[in-house]
Formats: sequence, structure tokens, C-alpha cells
Amino acid sequence: MKRGAGLLALCLALLTTLLTACSGDDRDDTVRLRVLTGPDLTVPAAVLAELRDETGIDLRLDHRADAETQAPDRDRYDLAWLSSDRFLRLTDKSATRGLQRTPIMTSPVVIGLKPDVARGLRARAPGAQLTWADIADAAATGTVRFGMADPRHAGSGLAALVGVATAAAGTGAALRPEDVSCDRLRGFRSGQTLTADTGPALVDSYVDHQDEANALITYESDLLALNAGDRLDDRLEIVRPEDGMVLADFPLLLLNPAHRTAYDKVTQWLRRESVQRQLMRHTLRRPVNTAVTRDPRLREPVGNALFYPDRPAVVETLLADYGDPVRRTTSQVVFLLDFSGSMRGARMAALRRAFAGLSGADPSASGKFTRFYRGERLTVVRFGGRVLEEKTVTVTGPKDLTALAGTVARGGYGDATAVWSALDHGYRTAARERAADPDRSVSLVLMTDGENNAGLSYAEFVRRHKALPAGVRAAVHTYPVHFGEADAGELRRAAARTGGRMVDAAGSSLSEAFKEIRGCH
Amino acid sequence: MPANRPTTEEPRLTVTRPPRRRLRRALALALPVPVIGLVLLVTSGNLLLPLRQVVTIEAKMASKRDFFQDPVVERLLMKHGFRVHITNMGSREIAKQDYEGYDIVFPSGQPAADLISRERARANRPVLLYRPFVSPIVLATYRDYAEVLTVEGVAERLPGPGDRPMYYTLDMRKFIDLAHGRRKGTQRDSRDGYRWDEIDHDDLVRNGNKILAQTSDICESNSAGTYLGLVAFVEHGNDAPDSEAEAEQLARKIKPLLVEQGLPSAERAETYLSPDGHSIAPISVIYEHQFLAHQIRHRAEKGKTDDERVLLYPSTRFVTEPQLVALTGDGARLGELISTDHELQRRAVELGFRARNATGGETSDELTRFLTERHIPVPTTSSDDTRAVLPSLPLLEKMIEIVGDCPDRTGSR
Repeated sequence: MKRGAGLLALCLALLTTLLTACSGDDRDDTVRLRVLTGPDLTVPAAVLAELRDETGIDLRLDHRADAETQAPDRDRYDLAWLSSDRFLRLTDKSATRGLQRTPIMTSPVVIGLKPDVARGLRARAPGAQLTWADIADAAATGTVRFGMADPRHAGSGLAALVGVATAAAGTGAALRPEDVSCDRLRGFRSGQTLTADTGPALVDSYVDHQDEANALITYESDLLALNAGDRLDDRLEIVRPEDGMVLADFPLLLLNPAHRTAYDKVTQWLRRESVQRQLMRHTLRRPVNTAVTRDPRLREPVGNALFYPDRPAVVETLLADYGDPVRRTTSQVVFLLDFSGSMRGARMAALRRAFAGLSGADPSASGKFTRFYRGERLTVVRFGGRVLEEKTVTVTGPKDLTALAGTVARGGYGDATAVWSALDHGYRTAARERAADPDRSVSLVLMTDGENNAGLSYAEFVRRHKALPAGVRAAVHTYPVHFGEADAGELRRAAARTGGRMVDAAGSSLSEAFKEIRGCH
Repeated sequence: MPANRPTTEEPRLTVTRPPRRRLRRALALALPVPVIGLVLLVTSGNLLLPLRQVVTIEAKMASKRDFFQDPVVERLLMKHGFRVHITNMGSREIAKQDYEGYDIVFPSGQPAADLISRERARANRPVLLYRPFVSPIVLATYRDYAEVLTVEGVAERLPGPGDRPMYYTLDMRKFIDLAHGRRKGTQRDSRDGYRWDEIDHDDLVRNGNKILAQTSDICESNSAGTYLGLVAFVEHGNDAPDSEAEAEQLARKIKPLLVEQGLPSAERAETYLSPDGHSIAPISVIYEHQFLAHQIRHRAEKGKTDDERVLLYPSTRFVTEPQLVALTGDGARLGELISTDHELQRRAVELGFRARNATGGETSDELTRFLTERHIPVPTTSSDDTRAVLPSLPLLEKMIEIVGDCPDRTGSR
């Protein structure tokens, strides 16, 4: 239809000017380029048609679900137009090095919150400025229930995952492998109620399930478009978190160097002021041409950009930890806590503070990311010369955490320190829990302030550990917390044997030590 | 699914005007050769130029395409019978990739040009080199960031009109110290560099990121490699390493500082100059000419300079010398032309470049005169500044490879 009009106009123009013959077809000098694109890219058909009319270059977009994550097939495609080429640059340096790339438009990955949720969170945030840590904290309590695309497939999901993980590490630098050795995003993830394989599918899913979620993590452009339309019950307040964001710059990549001339033409045309204005109007993405006057909605500061990791192992770990968003498994932590007499006084106060902090009282960013979260299963075992008490809760709300705090607050000190009997007990609990739910991940935290002077010897514990089912032995790691006069050498050995890691509370505080090993298994 | 999205339901615009380019092609097909020439001249606006043969120069360059893509330069070159077709890539990448079929390559600095001329000399196909202009390496930033650094005692305002200077000098030693966790004489864990929010007590910039200058890909770009050389020079007690062992050790020492920015993004200057630059590129390593060109343009278009964007001149200075490497006879003619032609040299100054004669650190007379005419502050340099020396080419290459984990320059060759 469009093409017909163009041809008619062309014929008329030729007739009126030169009266030369009009063949009715100039198919021969149209350059057709095969373009690999991801599902997140939307280019108005009118723009492509105009491009064809004005430059004679016909972009044939092929939307592929795996465009952002698979090395492009250069035999099939001349160009690639992605939301971001970072994942490819990271995972397949050889395929992407030296490729011509031209950013066409930008959009930060941010979060939209229903107004009441945004208000509630802002009321508690200093300066009413929200961070990813605040979002993670609210997700852990069930206050924020969000939708986010699957980072294993979608560019927006991956950008969000990297952004939140960088904020969680809190180093202010690009994530290194050691920053992601422990999974700090479990609390954050517990708030995810909607997912999809692509950005557009996520938006649709949110529209269809507005009662199941009150937040949406995606491109700023998607949120602005939703707000501009009539598909939402409540418009979403766009929050660009203080601790940073990842920017998508929608680069056009030249895969086939033979088409460089056409590529140059296309990129020049797409970055022209008039075209950029049109793209901005239709997609609500930020133009890269600085001459374009921005839509008022796009004049908001974009938020500090986080540094994107440059090591593939980091992103691989993040994706592995993220797992399958529709098949979430339960995590369980068994805390083996030394209640021998030496813990009386300041040490016990520190332990209770640490538990209160993990239950939501810690206002620091790291506290918000590592706190106990809804759906997590927690066991507290108090021990002295023997196991004194065991209490297990699955967190559904504040009352469960209060119950847990009650167990930790109860006195009842023992007169000796049976470290290895307690750890042995912990393994039996873990074995029982895993038998009930084989998908569950279980880890042990062993906190003690003294040397073993009762119950099993270390050698006997090792003998029993060796007799455990192989699955339990391989999957259940012990994270000893060294405190007071405990024997660091022995605790370190136990950690090494079980695949865990010892942390020292002597150098910092019990709270910091507990936070350090959250999510480490 | 995407069809359901409001953003994709675009009104289909009807094209009402005839598509001009197609018409042009149709004309070209239909008419005899002289008319094609006429049409081309008309459409490219060069009707009044003498009818002569135009040579298309195939060129590879990085940031110096700012010069060749300037419409005035394009017109001047056309007058002399040159059209330049540019492939855009980083300077080191230019040296690394095959340059067969090109007339000139124009890396932004000497190291990449040296790589190329050495390789060609080995192949017994020597090249001609032209150095038409120079430009110092700088750290481009925003006023609030510069002020935070000034309060911290790391930057210092350079004299200028009013209380909003456009230029600052950056104490490179102190700047690198912050990244090493050293501040005001106290040292914490050296891997724990300072973040903006730790020194920004007045909440001027509100940024939790580490204090560092972002560069483009060190494996590909001259500016990033030059910045590495600067940092190495400062870290080595204001001296360039002169043995392989020294260079390797130094590279490993400075590597953590230079990789904390993570995956580098291309087009530093473009990112910095974008409206979102303040958020996404608060301190960027670029060339002075890119900053000045922006201010000159801003002044011309808006009647005033851009007051938010300011420059940090590193106390340890380095002036980069872009080198035009002529690979063919036509390329050599072009190199000769831009190095000697008065109009082209003058235009280079108008684009913020310093004339070749002014490598001594002080702004070239021509640039000073031009900026003063346009009421743009002129950068003045302190005589206290040190001039950095880059390590010899093989050592610099070694260091770049270590810091950037770059593939070997020759790749599989």
C-alpha cells in the first residue's frame, strides 16, 4: 500500500519533469539489508518506510528472541540492532571486536511503582530518594511485588539484574567475580511476581495482572508509554534509583563490512534531527542527536550510570544465581548459635542486634539487601554442652521474625561448648529438610565464641560427616562465624571440609559477619 | 505480542512528496554521463566549483574525523578535488586491522601511527607521515564535580573571568591517590578507592560511584592508551618505565585503577557531550579540541558558552599528535594539503585544534586569538605543570595489553 503510493509519486515526478519512461519498478537499486533485532526494539514501520524512500535502503528486521544473547549469525544478517550489545561484547569478544557500532537512541532501565507504594517508600527514605536497596528491602517484606523480564533472554531484564547486583555490592565500581560469590539478590527476587521472555511480553503481562504486582522494572520508555496509554488502572510513578541504573543505547552494528556504505547512510539518516524527533515521539526513548528538543518527560536526569562489569564470569554467575524466575526454590539457613555462659552480656546483646538487623532493623544498603525475606526458611539451634532448643519458621510476615527473635532472646545458657555436636545436629536437620524437599538449598551458620569442650570431638564429627548421604555432603556448606575465644583454625578446617568459608567477627561486628555470608551457597 | 503495545501502533504516514534520491538515481540512469556530473554537482552544492576530477580518499580514523566531517572542511577539500570516505574505529584498532585498500589512516596519536609505519617499513612499503595539528589530552567534567574536587584540594581553579571558571588544573597525584584509598595523608585499604559520596559533603553530585576518569576501550583507543601512559608516568615518580620488567610491574600496579570502570563504552566525547552526560560520563578522558569545538559551537548557536561543562587539565600534561599516515600517492597529496593549506589550517583552529608549532604546552597563538575573538575563555597553563613522557612503543604496547587484557596486536599473525 505504502509502496504503491511511493511508486505512484515517483512515476508522476518523473513524468512531469522529464517525460522519460517509468518502468514502474526500481527494485534493482534498492539495497536490502537483513537486520537481526531483539524483541525489545520497536521501530515504527513509518520510519522504515521513509528510510527506504529517502535512501533506497530497505531494512528487513528479523526479531529473534535470542538476539541479545547469542553471537549473531553473519551469514544470515548484515546488521544487528539490539537494545544493548554489552552482553555480546562481554561473552564473545572475538565476534564483536572492531565492529562498527552506532547508538541510535537511549533509555535507562528503571522501576515504575504504583503511587501508593511509591509514597509509602518515599516516606521512609531519607530525602525521599529511593534506592535499589529500598526496593530490595520492600520486596523482601512483600511490600513491593514487581514484574521484570527474564534476564537470561531479555535485554531489559539483564540490564536490571546487573544494575541491582552492582548496587547490592555497593563498591561503586564494576562488579568483579569476588563481588558476586554470594547471592545478595534473594530478598530482592522474592518480590518478583511477574516475568516474561521479552520486554513487550512483560508489559502485556503486567497490564493483564495489575492485581498481582505493584511495580514494573523495565525501560523508562516502556513505563512512559504505559502511562501515556489507557491500559493501566494506576499510572506508574517512574523512579530512577539513586544508586544507579544501566542505560540501553540501542546500537546498530555492522556485521557484514561489504555493506559499509549502506550502513553509513542508514546510521546518518537515523541520527538526523527530524528522524530522531520522530523516533522519540513514537518510542519515548531519548534521542542521541543533541539538537533535538526533548519531550519534557525525557528531560528528567537519567540517574547515575553504574559501571558495567567487564568479565563474563560475573554475568554468568548472576544469571546462574537468578535461575528460572518461574521456578523459585526455597532457601533455608540453619543458625547454630553458641549459648554457653561466656556469651552472657555484651556478646549476647551483639547476637540479638545482629538478628534484629537481619530482620529488617538494619538501615544500611547492605542490610536491606541481605535481610531475611518472605518465603525464606530459617532455623535457630541454641546450644551449650548439648543442643538446647531448635526452632524453624518459614517467613510469611513480621510475626515469624518476632518468633525467631524470641528464641534468640530467651536466656537458658549452657555450661559448656559442644561445637561439633551442634554442627552434627545441624547436618541431621539439613538432611531431614532436604529429604522433605530435595530442591531446597540449605546452608549452616555456626557461631561460637569458645573452644569445643564437650560432646563430639572434631574427628568424630568428621567421621559422621563422611557418612552423610553424598547429596547432603556436597550441597550443604558450613559458614562458621569466629567470635571471642573460638578456635579459628578448627573452624576454618570445618569450613574447608564442608565447602563453606569462615568469617571473623573479631575484626568487625557480629552483624557484619552475618551479612557477609548471607546468600553464600 | 508487540503489536498490542501502544508504542508500536504507529500512524502510517503517507508520503506525499516525491522521494528525491530515487528521482536522482532514475535521472542518472536515464541521462548521458555529463548530466550525471551536473546533477551530482548541483545536489552536493558544488555547482560553482571548477569542474575537475574529484578523488575519493578511503580513510580510517577515530576522533579526528571531527575535522574531516566538518562541512567547511569537506567543502575546502572538495575545492581541491578531494572527497574523504571515512571508516570510523579506534586508533589502536586502526593499526591492528588490515589497512589494505585505504589511502590514508589517521590515528589520533603517535603510538598507533608508529605501529603502522613500522609494519609498513618491515614490508618494504614505507609511508609518509603528516602531523597537521595537535591537541592535549584532558579530563572533561561538569562544574559540580570539578567543585567537589576543588573543595577536596585535588583540583584548582585556573584564572578566568568571573567566579565560574571553565578550566581547572587537576593534581594527578592526589587524584590517583583517591582511587588508591589514600586521602589527606591517610591510607586505607588500597583496593578500597574513594567514592564521590565520601568526599562530597555538600551533596553536590550525589553519586556512589568510585572517583575515576572513564576512558574508551584501552585496547582500541589512543586517548585511553595515552591516559594509561599518564597514570603510569605519575605512579612511576614522574618518569616513564624504561625496561620491560619495570613496565610490566607498573602495568599490573595501575591495572586495578583503570579497570574499575568496567566495560568501556565507545565514543567518550559523544557520551560526555550528550544531554545525559552528567549522569553517564561525569569525568571522561577526551581531547581538548573536542571540548573546545563544543564550546565554540555552543557560543555560536546560543550566544554563550556552556557553563556546566568544564575541563580538568591534568597537572601532568600530554599533548597528543595525530598523525596522518599516507598509504598511497593520493593520500600523500591530501596529507600535504591539510598540513600546508592556509584555509584548512585556519579551519582546524576554528575546530579547537592547536597549530603544530605549539606543542610546548602554551596555547597556540592562532587558537588564543580565535577564542578571544569569540569571547571564549582561553586555557592558560601553569608553568609548574610537568610534561609527561610516554614509555617507548613496545613497552606501552605491553602495558596496554596487560591492563586491557587485549588480544595480541598481531592477532593470529
